[in-house]
This record gives sequence, structure tokens and C-alpha cells, in this order.
Amino acid sequence: MISTNGISKTVTTGQGQLQILKPISFNVKAGESVAIVGASGSGKSTLLSLLAGLDEVSSGEIFIDGQAMHSMDEEQRALLRGAKVGFIFQSFMLVQSLTALENIMLPAEIAGFADAREKALRLLQLVGLDHRAKHYPNQLSGGEQQRVAIARAFITQPKILFADEPTGNLDAANSDKIEQLLFDLNRDAKTTLILVTHDQKLAAKCLRQLHMHAGELSEPQSLHVESESTIAKQHIG
Amino acid sequence: MKQQYINLAWRLFRHETKRGELTIILLAIVLAVASVLSLSLFSERLQSALTTKSAEFLAADRVLEARQPVNSEWIVKAQEDGLNTAEQVYTRSMVFANEQLMLAELRAAGPAYPLKGQLKISNVAFGEGKVTMDLPKQGEAWLESRLMQSLSLKLGDKIEVGEAQFTVTQVLIEVPDAGFNVFGGDPKVLISIDDLAATNITGPGSRVSYSYFFTGETNKLDSYYDWLRPQLDRELHDWDSIEDDDSPIGRSVKKAEQYFLLASLLAIVLAAVSIAVAAQRYSQRHYDPVAIMKTLGATKRSVQLVYLLQIIFITVAGIFIGTLVGFVIQQLVVWALADKIDVAMDVWHWRPLLIAIFTGAVCALLFSLYPLLKLFSVSPLRVLRRDLGATISSRVIQFIASGGAIFILMWAYSQNFKISLILFSSGILLVLALLLVTYGLIWLGRKLGQGKMGAWRLAWARIHRRALDNSVQLISFAITIMLLLVVLVMRNDMVKQWQEQLPQGTANYFLVNITDSQKEQLATHFATNDINIERFYPMVRGRFVAINDEKIRTAISKEDQTEQSSGRDGLGREANLTWSNELQDGSRITAGQWFDDSAVATIEGQNPEQHYSVSVEEKLAQRLGIKLGDVLTFNIGSEVVEVAVGSLRDVNWQSMKPNFFFVIEPKALQHFVPTYLASFYLATEQKSKLTKLMQPFGSVTLIDVDARINQLRNIVEQVSMAVEFILILVLTAGSLVLVAQVQASMDERQQELAILRTLGAKGSLIRGSVLYEFIIIGLTAGLMATAFNELSLYLLQTQVFEMEAKIHWQYWLIAPLSGAFVVCCLGALSCWRLLQLNTNQLLRQMV
Repeated sequence: MISTNGISKTVTTGQGQLQILKPISFNVKAGESVAIVGASGSGKSTLLSLLAGLDEVSSGEIFIDGQAMHSMDEEQRALLRGAKVGFIFQSFMLVQSLTALENIMLPAEIAGFADAREKALRLLQLVGLDHRAKHYPNQLSGGEQQRVAIARAFITQPKILFADEPTGNLDAANSDKIEQLLFDLNRDAKTTLILVTHDQKLAAKCLRQLHMHAGELSEPQSLHVESESTIAKQHIG
Repeated sequence: MKQQYINLAWRLFRHETKRGELTIILLAIVLAVASVLSLSLFSERLQSALTTKSAEFLAADRVLEARQPVNSEWIVKAQEDGLNTAEQVYTRSMVFANEQLMLAELRAAGPAYPLKGQLKISNVAFGEGKVTMDLPKQGEAWLESRLMQSLSLKLGDKIEVGEAQFTVTQVLIEVPDAGFNVFGGDPKVLISIDDLAATNITGPGSRVSYSYFFTGETNKLDSYYDWLRPQLDRELHDWDSIEDDDSPIGRSVKKAEQYFLLASLLAIVLAAVSIAVAAQRYSQRHYDPVAIMKTLGATKRSVQLVYLLQIIFITVAGIFIGTLVGFVIQQLVVWALADKIDVAMDVWHWRPLLIAIFTGAVCALLFSLYPLLKLFSVSPLRVLRRDLGATISSRVIQFIASGGAIFILMWAYSQNFKISLILFSSGILLVLALLLVTYGLIWLGRKLGQGKMGAWRLAWARIHRRALDNSVQLISFAITIMLLLVVLVMRNDMVKQWQEQLPQGTANYFLVNITDSQKEQLATHFATNDINIERFYPMVRGRFVAINDEKIRTAISKEDQTEQSSGRDGLGREANLTWSNELQDGSRITAGQWFDDSAVATIEGQNPEQHYSVSVEEKLAQRLGIKLGDVLTFNIGSEVVEVAVGSLRDVNWQSMKPNFFFVIEPKALQHFVPTYLASFYLATEQKSKLTKLMQPFGSVTLIDVDARINQLRNIVEQVSMAVEFILILVLTAGSLVLVAQVQASMDERQQELAILRTLGAKGSLIRGSVLYEFIIIGLTAGLMATAFNELSLYLLQTQVFEMEAKIHWQYWLIAPLSGAFVVCCLGALSCWRLLQLNTNQLLRQMV
């Protein structure tokens, strides 16, 4: 589903060129869940932005569902995101002037779905917020906002879901609920999940874990196995 | 256009309006449309009302003056076009009665005269005039008081004009189109046009002028003139409208019109500034939604579509509400003025509405252009990196779009390139200077923002940190204050000038033909009746006959016509010559030098050929082609006097004081026996004293200008009042703009306040720091505004309003202090509102 070949990111600063991501190559299969873990400033969010097509690579190749994203311009990347990608953010990123229902409808409308409203209502029900349809984001709690964001991420039935610290702004109880919801929906929709976090517990729920450190990526095999077993347990449980 | 984006744009618009997020930008557009509409609708209605009123001084809306009778088809065509017409024939002629004769202005009026204004008559000379709808019948003549007095006439007496005889049936007190030339005019005789032929004074070679009066709807008058113009001969015909009127009233009305125009232009700029501020804030508040939409797959085009549609919805709503508000404001002003302004103001004008809509649309779209372009350039990456803003920062687009918009609007609206250019270039200079000041503030902020943490330091630190971001705010404060100052100071200067022109106690009666021996006696007699005569002006009547020995046309009546029919243009009448060593009040030498006794003596001694000096009124000199050093020849009685032009004078004809075209050096006329001219003021309630006052001086002629002065004062008062209301409207609009600006800037400060509050900062510290910051900004803006106000006023007063420019020192203190005070109060109020919220609410309000 995702294939990268030597992607790197270099930025120009006052002191000259700074390589914030060293050349990275890895593949993610369809339906896999992958956690990118690392300390703050390790480059994990930069990697996510490149994989999601929010930023351009300085070098290397990225293929999303067989399409060469590295050679696309911003407009083409936007269309690709609209068609194949969903997002969940730490700060929820809901449009403040749209209601919960309308926020969920937004990606479907952008993609031109005729039944955006019906789909959004179903998802709102699924995340347990159908009674909050007409509420604006600032009238919702953090947990509720993130549930709206999750519903929004799934409305276009994306092939890949990118989640950036999805529980980073939430308390423990809400975090658990959100994690549960995210993984359940992901499993049901058979979406490929790329999750950026520094929370080891959350990362452990993913099939694979990639470690970022000072702009370099590594993948400990043991963790890979462990997480697979965790997922398996969850499925059985 | 994709339906889903229209839906999305509409939904965003609806929700944001409901949640109050569009209030500021919507208010800015409403303000723009409402102020432009109310100002221009009011001023247009007032102008047309004043024009109607002023038209009374022409006795019509338009007048065609001709040196010979015009083709009768022209008049028929005007009547076919739905215009009303009237005619009057003028000439000068001697009037004989009681074995005396006097030169008079003969007016032969057609039955429809006057189309505008009224005739006033009386039974006695200098009596109170009563309005009449009648005209002299055949064989009758109405004479002005002066003529009645000079020829010792009473009603029923006979007079002879040319070969015809008339019975005097009324004293003519007032005609609408008398003009304002009090001293040069001869007394009028009004007869019926049917009697003119019988006088036999209008034959070939006589100087007769024919006036054709027209009234009707402006567009009909204009299209008639379009038809007529190609057939007019510049030598023979002159088309007048009140706009061409150069009388004191015409000038006051013209100045007031220019002022309204100025005020409306400034209202447009004010509105534009408020929209610019609001659009910037609007754009910044939408960075997140744009980044989110882009992340979710919206292309740049779709985002553009959504936000352009939003702006269009906002603009349409703003224009709609603004039109209603503007109309209501204007109507309130009209009601408030109804009993003060004696003119009907119920005419509806479409132009102001179109201008207001055009202004709202152009301002909203062009001032939003740069903020929108910035908004469109927001990267989707902002969803991960919140610090990312817009990626374009070139201010060139902003300056071109907003500067261009303002200039186009000003020019289109005023159709006056000069006023537009003056205001625009002062504005540009102000913006550049303010950018420099902003950099100065950054530097100062760096120096002063150090040391112990306190409100003062916090204020400077904030100014330092945000100086560039806030440059727009500083500039908009300064422009707003400057515009308000321009409107305020301009109004004060203009009204002051009007008042000075006709102060209370302005002489309303003139006495001429006072002999040397009567002088003392007359002064004493008047003094015992509590009437003060300030000064006697010596006067001899002379005929101006040559410039540098070149003969000029001097004909003053038919009898003279044969003697001289070609040559340079002359005065067309005898000139009143006076002499004086002192320059009169209100006069100013524009070229050459005023008489100098010692210099003359030397010249006289050295060269007996040298001429004495004369000072000539500047405009007359221009008209007759008289230059410094020219030798002018006058015939005074049987003597010839030659004088050299020593100076040119600018004379204030609007002062209603005795003024003269020629002031001759006293020595040149010392052998002549003068008569004297004097003026005095008589209050209306003392009018009955007149007969008693004049009784001992039968040979002295009395000229009554009371009615003229009252007409003039009345118009000036009404125009001043209207100007005052316009000032209040602009001040209100300006204050609203300031509120919007402070509101917008408080919004930006909210996050910082929330953080400071969270960190436990006391309300007094936060309030203090905000107050200091606003005081610094207000002072700076006020000071800059004052400086550029002087520049704009200098240019406007010298180039457009034909006034004398001077520095207004008092505003150098008032403007910065009041700027600081107002901005600081508004800031304090908004800050107080924010501090009422608890920290949690503050944090939640942040997008």
C-alpha cells in the first residue's frame, strides 16, 4: 500500500542546510497497522507529513497504492488524499464554524459524495454522538471532538489512515475509549493505519513499530512479533 | 461550479454569521456602504436643494445670454422639449423726469419672468418689499428706490425712457437676478417687454443684451443644451447655470459641494481601511479551516471557490444591510434638519445608491484580495505544524490592490483628479512614514522592553514583537485620525471664513454722492442717531479711455456708441476712482508695490514725465490685459489723467465692503473735487429711522443692500449647518472604524492574555500593559496624523478650496492626546471585556 525508497527531507535554515530526515526506505502492506514512535524532534511528524503528501520530499520516491506521489504537485496530492487518505490529529483539527455532523460530512462533500449526510449520520451514531450532531466543536469535550475527528476520517472509506498522536490531548479514560474506537473501526474497514506516537502502550497495539531517532528509522523485529501477537490476542479477545 | 462547494460556502457563511465570527468584516462593509450612501445621498439631496435655492438668484435653472435676439425656433424647441421659458431684455438708458436725468438699467420683462425667485415691490422708496406675482402692465414702469429718490419721484409720476413715456406704479425693491455688484450697477427700471419697441432705444448699434430663461428637469435641460450648443456662437452667446455662478452664494455653495465631496471621499477611505483591517483578521482566522480542507483533499481551486463565494455572500449581505442603515441615517438627518434648512429634500437620487453598492463591492473584493491570497497559500502541513502561516508575504500585491481600489473609487466618485491625487498621495506618504516609524518603534521597543517585568515593559515588549504585524493597525489608526482631522479642520476653517465674510454688523446701507461740505454734518447727524459711519471714501467718476495710449471701448449708452465702436474691451461703464495711501482691509498686493510717498517724491523731482501710480484689481487687469507699468488714461470731467500701474491687488469682493477696481495715488487726483462714499449698519428694527436720517441730505443717494446680505447670510448659515451634519456623520463613521480596529486587535491579543492569565498575571498588570500599548500607539498615530493632516490641508486649501492655508498649531497637541485617549479607552473597554472571562473561556475561544 505504501512504498518508500530513500526518502529524505532537508530544510534551509539561517545556518545553512539541515537534513531533518535521513534517507528512509520501507514498505507497508494493505491492512497493516504501523506505529512510528520516537522522542519529540526525532522526525516522526516529518515522516508522517511526507507519507501523507502534506509536504514534498527532498529526495527519494513514495508510492501510495501504486501511485508515484513524489512526482505529483500539490493539487494532485490533494486529490490523492481526498480519494485514499484519512487523518486524525492530536489537536483534532475540526472546523470550528461547522457542527459535529458537518465536520464529518466535510471530506465526503469535498470528494463529491451525494450521500455525505446519511453517511455522516451513520458514523456519528457509530461513535456514539448522534445526540451532539448540531453542536459546534467548542461545545464538545476533547474526547468527543476526537470521536468526531475519527468519524470524519472514516467517512470516505480511505485506504490509509494517518493518525498523529490521536490520544495526546486526552486523559487516560478518554484515551482508552478513543484507542478502542480507532482500532475497531480500522479493523472493520480494513484500513492501513499509520500512527505516530510517543506512547509505547498505544504503539504496542499496532502490528509493526518503526522507531525514529535523530531523523533515522529502525524497525526492531521483536517488537514487530510482539505487536502481532497483541493484535492477535485482541482479535481473539 | 460544483454544487457541494456552494453548499459548503453557504453553510460556513450561515454558521459563522450566527456565531458572530463575521461580525467585524460584515460591520466594516455595512459601515462602508452606510456611510457612503448616507453621506452622498444627503449631500446630493442637499446640493440639489441648494442649487434649487441658488437658481432663484438666476431667476431660472439655466440662462442663455445673447447680444442679439436668438432664433425663435430655439425657444420653440425648448418648449417642445417640455421646458419653461421666459425672456428679458436689458439695456442702459437715461431716464428723464422732473427735468432731471439719470442713467438706469432698463429691464423689459416677458410675461413668464421670473421662472424662479420672486419680485418684491413697495409703495414707498426704501420700504419693506412685498412679494408680487404681477409685472408692470403696458405703459407702466417700476423703479428702484434710488432712482425714485434721485429723480424726486412718487407713485403716479411720469418718466421718459427713449421715446416712450411711462407711469411709475410701484417701487421695485428686489429682483431675483439682481447680481451682487452693489456699487457698479445702475438703478433698475422694470417695464413690460411689449413696451420696449416704443422706446426705440434698441436699434442697430445699441448695447442690448437678451436673456432667455429656462427651467425644467435636469436631464431635459442637459439634452436641450446638447442640441443647442453646436448652434451657439461664443462671441454672441453665453450659457449660464448656477454652477457657473461666481457670486458669493455660488462660491459658498461650490465650496460646500467640494466639502461634501471631500467628506464622502474620506468616508470611502475610512470604510476601505476598516474593511482592510477586518479582511486581514478574517483571513487569519481561517488559516486552520483552509489547512484542514486541503488536508482532506480539497484542491486549491475548490478552496478558492469556497472562500470567494463566502466573501461574495458577506459582501451582498453587507451591502444590503448597509443600504438600509445608510438610508435610515440619512433620513434621520433630513428630519433633524427639516425645520432648519429651508429647502425641500425629498428628491430621490440613484447615483449615491449605485456609488455605495459599487464602493462596498470594490472595497470588499479588492481589500480582501491580499488576505485571501494569503489564505489560499496556507499549507496543509499547518495541521501538523501549527506555527505555519501563509506562504506569500509580498506586500506589493496588497499595496497595488488596495491602493488601486482607493484611487479608482476616489477618482470615479469625485471625477476630480486633483482632489483624489492630493488625498491619495498624502495617504501614501503617511503610510511610508508610518512604516519608518514602525521600524523606529521596533528599535525603541528593543531598548525600552528590557528591565524589570511590569506593565510598561510588557507593553513595549509587545510593541517590539508585533511591530511589523501591527504596522497595519498603526497605519489604519493614523489614517483614520488624519481623515477625521482633515474633515474637522477643513470645516472649521471654512465656516470661520464664511463668518468673517459677513460678521454681525456688516454695513447694509451705502451712501453715495456725499459732498465735501456735507461730510462733517452727515457724520454728526448719524452719530446723534447712534449710527456710526467709519470712513468716507473719496470718489470721482472717470471714464477709462486708453491703455498705453491705445484707445479702448468705452461705450456706456446708445448715445456714446457712435463715438467708439471698436478697440480693446473696456469697463463698459464709468469707473469709480478713489485715492488712498492706505491699503484697504481684505485687499492684498499680488504684484508690484503699494504707493510709497518718499519714492514718489524722488521720482517727481527727477523726472516730471513720470506718472503717478494706480493700483488695479487683479482680475480686471487680467481681463483687460493690463500689466505692471502700463499707463492708463482716464477722462475725469474735461481733464485727462494718466497714471502708471504700480501694483495689482487681490480684492475680497465677498466682504460687502466698498471696493474699487482702481485706487489712485492721492496726489494724482488732488485737484479734483470728490464726492464721498460711506457705509453704515442699521438693524432691521431701526429701519423706520431711515427717512428721518436721510431727510437733511436730499442729494445723497442711499443704496440698500440689506436684503442681499440677508439672502447671503441665510444661505451661508444653511450651508454651514449642513457641513456640520456631514462632519458629525464622518466623525461617527470614523469612531466606528476605530472601534472595529481595536476590536480586531484585541482578538489577536486574546491568546496572549489567556497565557498571561494562566500564568497568574494580575488583571492590573494585563490592563496596564494593554493601556500603555494603546497609549503609545494612539500617541504615535495621532502625531503622525496631525503632521499629514497639515500637508493634506495645505494642498487642499491652496489647490482646491482657494483658501489661505495656515498651520493649525492647536491640533498638534489635541490630536495626539485625543488619539491616545480614545484608542486607549476603546482598548481598555475591550480588554475589560476579555478580563471578565475566566481563563478557561479565554482558552476555549481561541481557534
